[in-house]
Amino acid sequence: MSLLMCPARISAKPAPGYLVPGMLECVSISGKPINDLQGNTVGVTIPLKRAGRLFLLEGTIDNMIGNFILDTGASGLVLNQTYFRNAIAVDDEEAGGVTGSTASVERINVKRLLISDLVYTNMPADVTPLGHLENRRGVKILGLFGMSLLKNLEMVIDLRNNELQIFRLDRTGNRLGPPSPVVKYDIIQKIGEFHSIMFVKATIGGKVLDFCLDTGAESNVLSITAHKNVLGTVTITRRSGLNGVGQDRGEVLFGTLNEFSMGNRQMVPMETILCSLTAMSRKYGCPIDGMLGYDFFAKGKIYINLVKKEMGICLKPEENK
Amino acid sequence: MRTWCAWMATFILFISTAAAQVQVDLKKVCHVEDGRLIFTLDLRWSAPQRTEVARLFGLDSALVSDAYALKPVITSNGKVWKTLKIDLHRFELSMEAGKDESREETTEKIFLLDDQWIKRSSIAERESVSYGVNRFTRNILVQSGGRLRFFLPGQKNAKKVFISGSFNAWSTLQTPMQPCDSGWTVSMNLKPGKYSYKFIIDGKWTNDSYNKLRENDTYHGYNNIFFCYNYKFVLSGVPDAHKVLVTGSFNQWNESELRMIRFQGNWVLPLYLREGTHAYKFIVDGTWMTDPANKVTRPDGKGNRNSFMGIGDTLFFTLKGYSNAKKVIVSGNFNAWNQEELAMDKTSDGWQLPYVLAPGNYEYKFIVDGKWITDPSNTYKTGSGNSYLSVKPNYWFRLDQYPDAGKVIVTGSFNNWSTDGSRMEFHQGSWWFPVFLAPGKHTYKFIVDGKWMVDPANNLWENNEYGTNNSVLWIEP
Repeated sequence: MSLLMCPARISAKPAPGYLVPGMLECVSISGKPINDLQGNTVGVTIPLKRAGRLFLLEGTIDNMIGNFILDTGASGLVLNQTYFRNAIAVDDEEAGGVTGSTASVERINVKRLLISDLVYTNMPADVTPLGHLENRRGVKILGLFGMSLLKNLEMVIDLRNNELQIFRLDRTGNRLGPPSPVVKYDIIQKIGEFHSIMFVKATIGGKVLDFCLDTGAESNVLSITAHKNVLGTVTITRRSGLNGVGQDRGEVLFGTLNEFSMGNRQMVPMETILCSLTAMSRKYGCPIDGMLGYDFFAKGKIYINLVKKEMGICLKPEENK
Repeated sequence: MRTWCAWMATFILFISTAAAQVQVDLKKVCHVEDGRLIFTLDLRWSAPQRTEVARLFGLDSALVSDAYALKPVITSNGKVWKTLKIDLHRFELSMEAGKDESREETTEKIFLLDDQWIKRSSIAERESVSYGVNRFTRNILVQSGGRLRFFLPGQKNAKKVFISGSFNAWSTLQTPMQPCDSGWTVSMNLKPGKYSYKFIIDGKWTNDSYNKLRENDTYHGYNNIFFCYNYKFVLSGVPDAHKVLVTGSFNQWNESELRMIRFQGNWVLPLYLREGTHAYKFIVDGTWMTDPANKVTRPDGKGNRNSFMGIGDTLFFTLKGYSNAKKVIVSGNFNAWNQEELAMDKTSDGWQLPYVLAPGNYEYKFIVDGKWITDPSNTYKTGSGNSYLSVKPNYWFRLDQYPDAGKVIVTGSFNNWSTDGSRMEFHQGSWWFPVFLAPGKHTYKFIVDGKWMVDPANNLWENNEYGTNNSVLWIEP
């Protein structure tokens, strides 16, 4: 698909006081502690929807039903200004991301967010314009479901079955409740975290690179300023313009990663785009060599354990040769 | 001499053959090295090959032309390109990569590339076929009027079951199923048409194993399909027949597809038929016959007659007066502005034509003895001066205030932002405009005597690319 979308790199700082599943404040739909849900169920399966290469979760926020983009490239909850314009702001902040126009960001408090059986109450959210995403994808988008909402949890993204599984963890990062069916993961890799953004190391052209794990990116991204040994392994297949929020034009190169390995396993070929990530690196406060988006997550079933700080990939049979 | 000429001819042929054999290896056209974006181009490429490379890699035609002229430095769209000959046939065209100044200066947020994603609205799917018959292997869908009851057998251990499909914009939350003795059930009110769906059983997308109708879901799986019926063919009087089919314009007169079912002495076939007028016949044990219960038949142009029936509400185009006119025609975008087809019938006080139109927005005029006139009884006009008609409108744009305005327009994504297409009418203190809108998101504005404004009564709006705002409206499926 020729579309790349890297939803909001909002510079929301982790805010104290917000609630995530697994904490005492988490309640079920019925108002009971989440541990009481469905006979002490400690895991939940959430159906994923697709809009292009975006993954959507449906949820209810302050009695409004709509879609949220699962966006591990966003640090927290980001809401669409169209529907939350009149919420009372508690703070102002500047937006950040990859490219596009400047947009003001407000921070509000959300009373209640419900995603399947996950309930979040009294949590902060950034409010910023996202109408252009709706217009391009034709679906109502209430906001972005970012990383801090998954803290202390394990998530399993299974695109083949279009589902997201969420598991509660103990303090050591093991799943609560009865043992889950054993899944043999082909790759297990440590992940780093910085400002609620996940990073993982991968190797291209003999160079170890830092990639941001971003379910909100409709394509992988590789920095155009990467080492020549890295770029030398990439086949560039076309070049195209880039539409920003305010009709800014940039350009990107589309290519194929002919060498990409993680945990000594090759994962090729994989489509990518090449563009400047200087601004994003500056915004994150650390250098970024690339982003792993849709093409990466489509390689198999991927778990991300945010307590153990590790991820695993169970490659699809056709990838596991 | 002859030998020299023959040798030259052979040489030229070799050259031209060699030139024709220069292929474009797209994998080697572009690379990035030492901070430069480099295109390796070949002077032997044909014009179509150069054009294709330019298209794929977004190179301006003037830039390519200058490059092939081997101009050492070329400025294109504010960027400086350089050329460098690398051998007899090939040269490099390069520019500095990774320095997009305009992007560096912005506080970046989201970027989108032009894409080929095509959104399919549910109305497009609902009316995307002219007919449809369900193929369930078990009686799990019961229809009574527009109300359908879905039944999912089994799944007794499931805790939550939803049905999700084009009827609810694929919501995973809005249509829960209720447990019953032997499974799960839900009732829905739907408009006639085609729908795709899946079940969600404890969070997992699940296909309907009792439904043989399926379509690729574009994500390596499939959706099940069902039709909400709106018509039933019935044939009486042939109880001894062995095989009865119905065929018509809706299925291109297929002679073997739609087999009717024997039911209480009659032959019946319930199905979905798209709104409009349909010609049809029955085939009874191989013999074609019109519908004996339908008096409306028309010649088929081959010496036979077909039965005709209409689905949908009948509209009556009426024109008062013009009693001396010899011929009055209705012409509009619904019949491609045909000037002969729809002749109106003379009545005691004017002219009239019954006609079936599907829900939608139309424009039309009358042709009275060759003279085009708007409908004097219809106050809604388009910018081009035609009468405007919205059949079964599902939304009324409304603007309060501005009673003294001379001209109020509603413009938006639904009419390609036409600045004079949809003129509102002033009634009872407000400006109104009826419209049939497809499900999904619509953005719009009002233009009051030339001044653009968002809808003051709608608190949903968003920024647009011009630095102003558009009102936002969602139409549910």
